[in-house]
Amino acid sequence: MNTNSLQHTPSKKRSPSLVPPYLAAILSALIPGLGQALARAMRRGIILLSSFVTILGLMAWRIRLAARRDTEVFAIIKKAYHLQPVLVVLSVMVLILYLWIIYDAYIIAKDAERTPVLLFFMLIAVFFMLGWQIGEIDPIAFVTKADDAAPALARVLWPWEKAISYPEEHLLATVDIQVPCTEEDPPPPAPEKIEGEPYFWATPTCGDLKTQDGIPGTILTIRGENFAPDTKVNILWEDPIGNEFRQRQEGEYVTTIPDAKGEFEVEIEMPYRLLPPHADADFYIWDLKAKQLATVGQAEPSMELKLAVEKIVETIFIGMMATFFGILLALPLSFFAARNLMSASPITIAIYYLVRGVLNIVRSIEPLIWAIIAVIVVGLGPFAGILALTVHSIAALAKLYSESIESIDPGPIEAIQATGANWLQTVMYAVIPQIIPPFVSFTIYRWDINIRMSTIIGFVGGGGIGFLLAQWIRLLDYDSAGIAVWFIAVTVAILDYVSAEIRERFV
Amino acid sequence: MLEIRHLTKVYDDGTVALKDVSFTVEDGEFLIIIGLSGSGKSTLLRCINRLVDPTEGDVIWNGVNLTELEGEELRKARREMGMIFQHFNLVKRSSVFKNVIAGRLGFMPTWRSLLGRFNDADRKKALTALHRLGIADQAQKRADELSGGQQQRVGIARALMQDPKMILADEPVASLDPVLAHNILEYLEMLNQEDNLTIVCSLHYLDLVQRYSTRVLGLRDGEIVYEGSREDIRAMADEEFKDIYGEEAQRITGSVSGDLEEFEIGGLA
Ligand SMILES: Nc1ncnc2c1ncn2[C@@H]1O[C@H](COP(=O)(O)OP(=O)(O)OP(=O)(O)O)[C@@H](O)[C@H]1O
Ligand SMILES: [Mg+2]
Repeated sequence: MNTNSLQHTPSKKRSPSLVPPYLAAILSALIPGLGQALARAMRRGIILLSSFVTILGLMAWRIRLAARRDTEVFAIIKKAYHLQPVLVVLSVMVLILYLWIIYDAYIIAKDAERTPVLLFFMLIAVFFMLGWQIGEIDPIAFVTKADDAAPALARVLWPWEKAISYPEEHLLATVDIQVPCTEEDPPPPAPEKIEGEPYFWATPTCGDLKTQDGIPGTILTIRGENFAPDTKVNILWEDPIGNEFRQRQEGEYVTTIPDAKGEFEVEIEMPYRLLPPHADADFYIWDLKAKQLATVGQAEPSMELKLAVEKIVETIFIGMMATFFGILLALPLSFFAARNLMSASPITIAIYYLVRGVLNIVRSIEPLIWAIIAVIVVGLGPFAGILALTVHSIAALAKLYSESIESIDPGPIEAIQATGANWLQTVMYAVIPQIIPPFVSFTIYRWDINIRMSTIIGFVGGGGIGFLLAQWIRLLDYDSAGIAVWFIAVTVAILDYVSAEIRERFV
Repeated sequence: MLEIRHLTKVYDDGTVALKDVSFTVEDGEFLIIIGLSGSGKSTLLRCINRLVDPTEGDVIWNGVNLTELEGEELRKARREMGMIFQHFNLVKRSSVFKNVIAGRLGFMPTWRSLLGRFNDADRKKALTALHRLGIADQAQKRADELSGGQQQRVGIARALMQDPKMILADEPVASLDPVLAHNILEYLEMLNQEDNLTIVCSLHYLDLVQRYSTRVLGLRDGEIVYEGSREDIRAMADEEFKDIYGEEAQRITGSVSGDLEEFEIGGLA
């Protein structure tokens, strides 16, 4: 009896309005849409009213949210407008919409043939602005913050420095220092040189520590040989009870860099240190150490790279195993979900609906959610990922398979039967050739999806490279994250290519 | 000899497709069944080789009542009747050769056919059949790559693989253009005359009926409403034909209906 107001159908005439145009306008001013409804544009009125109420509700909520702390209405609005200028735009638009609805009521009531659609674009525009505000869309931040993100992004884009590392080795040489010098005892001798080992000695080998009152300690000249060139050397002390601490000079840790021959020479002042509780001994032997963390040997793949390789392999196999299990279980299920096979009796029809229903429910739950469930059941790791993807694959594949079974052409079946072939022969020669191509195609498609999914299933603990990626991102290790991203991208690209190839061959 | 006695078919949904149909087909006849769409032609043909199970009545084929056969015996009986279809019913994605050789399935042990191990004699037979129909050069193509006329010839070749005594043809030319229609029917006529195969064929076009049939049956609403010899049909005027056939009846274009000698079998492949 009424016109569909969303479709512009000028030929369709409404029944004459129940109220005169000006009254319709007034009614719509009181309750937006009421005028239209009484002008026999019921659906239009309902749409306008419900939209307008929704918009007002959302507006009130956003304004309240923007000015959380205020209590007085006017203050709230003022503050909200101040903090979120978008709300001003929005309010103006809502006002325009309101006036427009009033005008629309007048038009609708006046002319039964007109159903303007422009108003609905205004409605959409208001919802768009609401979405903008609720979505906290902020293009300026997008531009300004991009600068800050650039270094991190650059590391993600080109992470390969992190892909190689050099094996490292601690080089350490020690010399004994007697504290303090005494007359009876000779200071400790310089250590023996051992061929190929770093060597380190000091002159003198005895002295006094700096005291609390500021009397300077003895100045030691320390020299090193046979260290790795151009790599930082740290100077440390070990006191007689085994505490290690780094030498400081003027507040800085003392470090030195050996020359090209691996030699260095520095002067240090013996540090202030609380002496151990008094003992009988006249002196103590302190150890002075030169420590270096040097790279030795050839470049090799870094830990992160190895981990990424390990996990990408795991990822691919998660996808593969899920596809295998998916096929195995979906195949039998698909026959129960094929209407043409199951329409024989009420029992089979019931089974059909049951299977279809379950499959639809399972399929509508995202694999990531299945992964969360699987992690609860079997714990973190690839098995959880495989389970999650398998469940989803079964449902998706069974549906696709059953649809291709449903679309089998009965003609060839009839023709093969007519040759005197038996049931098995008919299946082999008329059914299977028809379902193999779509089955292969759907299976590859699923495999494709499974590998893609397995790259992110790790985000919720389902194993694979996603697990690493999530971890590295959280640790702000963007280089390593970049390696993972690259691995995912390359894998997915290769897979795309391979599956397209296979599909071309088979279908 | 094929004898149909009081054949009735009621489908599960209650549709009565055939009502007490009785007739006899002598060996070597070219029987054409005409009738409106929905008159039961397809049902009748399918009842003969039991692709459809008749509700009542008998189908006596050379003294054997086919309606009583089951399993192996039924399949043996089916082997003796080749069938061709309006939509060819080929396995579209399989090769022409595979479609044709499938006509031998009823003759071979199941395990061999599951492995696809057709023996040399069958392969040779398939090649001969393809040659006979002028499509030997298409053997390795996928069936759906062929034109309609070629596909129907694959269908005929498949039927011939059974060394049938009779061919059931359900509107074999309805999805072909007139020239190809003559082409296919001339082929059936040749099989009928040279190999002495019985042909039972449903058709739509009056001039094809007049040109090829030795006898005609008219079906309407599942009942036989007309039966005539070759002479009766040739003498029949369009109006009479329309009477049994309904207003749908039509000739295929006048330009090809006259002298048919120019259409050689296989010449238009
Ligand atoms: N499987 C089926 N189930 C129910 N009714 C059917 C079935 N097959 C055919 N029918 C009905 O039986 C009647 C005869 O159908 P049939 O296909 O035999 O006619 P036809 O003469 O071959 O028609 P056409 O020229 O359109 O092929 C029709 O009313 C049809 O709707
Ligand atoms: Mg039919």
